[in-house]
Amino acid sequence: MAYSEKVIDHYENPRNVGKMDAEDPDVGTGMVGAPACGDVMRLQIKVNDAGIIEDAKFKTYGCGSAIASSSLATEWMKGKTLDEAETIKNTQLAEELALPPVKIHCSVLAEDAIKAAVRDYKQKKGLI
Amino acid sequence: MGTPCHFALFELQPSFDLDLDQLATRYRELARGVHPDRFADASEREQRLALEQSASLNEAYQTLKSPPKRARYLLALNGGELPLEVTVHDPEFLLQQMELREELEDLQDSADLNGVAVFKRRLKAAQDELNQSFAACWNDAAQRERAERLMRRMQFLDKLTYEVRQLEERLDD
Repeated sequence: MAYSEKVIDHYENPRNVGKMDAEDPDVGTGMVGAPACGDVMRLQIKVNDAGIIEDAKFKTYGCGSAIASSSLATEWMKGKTLDEAETIKNTQLAEELALPPVKIHCSVLAEDAIKAAVRDYKQKKGLI
Repeated sequence: MGTPCHFALFELQPSFDLDLDQLATRYRELARGVHPDRFADASEREQRLALEQSASLNEAYQTLKSPPKRARYLLALNGGELPLEVTVHDPEFLLQQMELREELEDLQDSADLNGVAVFKRRLKAAQDELNQSFAACWNDAAQRERAERLMRRMQFLDKLTYEVRQLEERLDD
């Protein structure tokens, strides 16, 4: 499988790898998995009082495309409001990374992780 | 879903519990019967038929011998095909998966072959437990959701088994 340069860049220099305290009331955690390829993705956001995502971290066990998708997702989420972050679509991630059709599901997984993290945060704050 | 069903090819009733040794023996017998070499002098139609039979037999065998594939196939027989690519939200299980992957990374860094052996035993025990739970609930329509979740978990553990094998090969070099 030939990876695009952007995928390789994110794979070799993943942005924002790490872990936040899932118990922190200002942290939202999204944990998702793709059973067929065994990928596991954790995406976390820290939201400030103004409702802005001030930090995002991820950890992904999976192929290069899954790692790149989640790495890019954390980059894009930083500085956004929750509502803005929720509008990030897998197609945008896939396009930016030039993912081939067989790897589109990796970007879907990243989008689902974003949504799960935002939902977790909102639930903690009693917003939904 | 192709007809006849994978189980029928082996003259078996759909079931999750299978004797894999018996299945392998039966597969070899059946495969011999449709081997292309036996049809070298046969008509073109017979040759094509034998080739098709050989392919379906192989597909059936590959599906039945793998617990997650067999599980997915049984659920498909019972209530429609389940997509291969889905996102699962199974937080506790996924957290556990992540921890196991981290452990495996540490084993790689320390090149700990004994540790890998212990890891494999734990993984096998987890798979056995999962298989038993699935066997007990897949055929109960009321527990369909649970059976699907267990099948997805099997897929993760199957992939983890593959990762362990890869690691063993790397450490062997």
